[in-house]
Amino acid sequence: MKPYGYVFGMGLQKALAYRADFLLTLASCIFPILMQVCLWTALYAAGAADTGGYTYEQMILYTLLAGITARIVATGFENDVAQDIKDGGLNKYLVKPVDYGGYYFAQFLGGKAGPIAFLLAVTTAVLAGAAAVLGTAFSPLRLGLYALSLAGATVLNFVLFYAIALLGFWLTEIRQLFGTIAIVILVASGGVFPLDIFGPVGRWMAAALPFGYTTQFCVNIVTGRLAPGQIALGFAAQWLWAGAFAALCAVLWRQGAKRYTAVGG
Amino acid sequence: MEIITVQNLTKVFTYAAKEKGLKGSLRDLFARKTLQKTAVENVSFTVQKGEAVGLLGPNGAGKTTTLKMLSGILYPTSGSATVAGYVPWQRQRAYQRRFAIVMGQKSQLWPDLPAVDTFELNRRIYEVDADAYRRTLDELTDLLDVRELLQVQVRRLSLGERMKMELIAALLHRPEILYLDEPTIGLDILSQRSIRDFLKYYNEQTRTTLLLTSHYTADIEALCPRSIIINHGSVVFDGPLAEVSEVFGHKKLVALKAQRDLTAAELAAFGTVRACQHNTALLEVERDRLQPCLQRLFGALPVVDLDVKDIPLEEGIAYFYQKAGVSAP
Repeated sequence: MKPYGYVFGMGLQKALAYRADFLLTLASCIFPILMQVCLWTALYAAGAADTGGYTYEQMILYTLLAGITARIVATGFENDVAQDIKDGGLNKYLVKPVDYGGYYFAQFLGGKAGPIAFLLAVTTAVLAGAAAVLGTAFSPLRLGLYALSLAGATVLNFVLFYAIALLGFWLTEIRQLFGTIAIVILVASGGVFPLDIFGPVGRWMAAALPFGYTTQFCVNIVTGRLAPGQIALGFAAQWLWAGAFAALCAVLWRQGAKRYTAVGG
Repeated sequence: MEIITVQNLTKVFTYAAKEKGLKGSLRDLFARKTLQKTAVENVSFTVQKGEAVGLLGPNGAGKTTTLKMLSGILYPTSGSATVAGYVPWQRQRAYQRRFAIVMGQKSQLWPDLPAVDTFELNRRIYEVDADAYRRTLDELTDLLDVRELLQVQVRRLSLGERMKMELIAALLHRPEILYLDEPTIGLDILSQRSIRDFLKYYNEQTRTTLLLTSHYTADIEALCPRSIIINHGSVVFDGPLAEVSEVFGHKKLVALKAQRDLTAAELAAFGTVRACQHNTALLEVERDRLQPCLQRLFGALPVVDLDVKDIPLEEGIAYFYQKAGVSAP
């Protein structure tokens, strides 16, 4: 009887209600990745033989997988949350026996289910291509761990952006910041290029900050850059960060809801 | 049995002042003044179980803010309230299952999906048994005559149809208390009447407690035996709406038509001239002087038509909107 499964279904229905929009969303996932591939191809052709320990083939594989992973875990609901807080849209959730965060998470997953299925299919194609061209073997265990890390990354990215969105209780026009924050986090997560190319600082960023656990960690599992011990530590860090941000969200919600002004009739 | 008890409820909003023009905006960047607005001030009232009470007041009077505090959307600045034994702003699940709120200007329906999807979602949120849900849905869709619209995307519905769907969504879990904030706002006369008739019938049949705000006097007259007028955040009247008219009970309006054009100067001797145009006029006359006034009118002027009326209810309400305290005008 729990409503969240049904909200998931409604989120999916809503995404499918507008077929052209759905297809454009899928297409928009691909173009930025292709642009990055072109950029790296040009850079390596100009003489960058080995950037940060990545050969051209490894860099292209990383770019493809990181681009896809970043889009699998990407949020995009933060504007809606900030709008709800600013314009009083939160009212309808506050009066019902339902958890707003859980409701949004279910709706977010429902809305993403279609693009995620598509992106996972693309990932399979990319991995099959890499196996054929580079001769790289992707073991079922690594693929399974990659899938598991994607689940953790989705949860972590959700609570991270949900916490940022809840700052709307204090900052009325926070939406202007979301674009900038999203780009900074995308870069800091290794979603554009591997943070390793920045040497020790980059490696420290990937390990010590939460962002790397949403993208680079997942990609490094599947490309075999991590030892079993590092994978185990990575999973622990991923879920610890998710727990920490979930706790932060709970505090922000409790304090923010007291400040909520519910403007509008 | 009291179901709603409100005591000295107060809500003060704090907000940043915005100075005029670009210079003001630049000054605001460095030193911003904080202002306070008291939306609700020491409001106290009680509502009995099954009662239908209208909250009246001009824009910004604090009606909606009061409803928002009673439904747990807002925390009050001070004061207390209990509804069905619960403190609303503690947002306990058990309380949330016992009431519903419909806001005329805010929708709870998913606009891109048919309303029936939101109904099914609400069934799961409120954990309504499938059979009970089906029975309630059938009853409500028949009463509101929207059965054939259940599969239509909400954003394609007219405002009146959408409001009917909002009511169904709110009533599926059979709440004991229903808060209605401007449920007929923007609707045409037929839709207003349809919503009003439904609410009246529903209140009579189920004894659901109604607390209603509306700018349409007809809504309150039709639905609420008792009204509370709030102005500047405070209660200025609490009683049957008919008593509001009694504020002007000592006055009558005389509408007259003569064979020739009239002047305000010649009519001033009979009472207060409210309007005078060509051969028609409207006079305000003290009730105890009505009879001699009419006799003098017939004697002095070539009257062809005359009508004596009470002061309209809206004027009584407007009087309370303009006054902080209650005293005869």
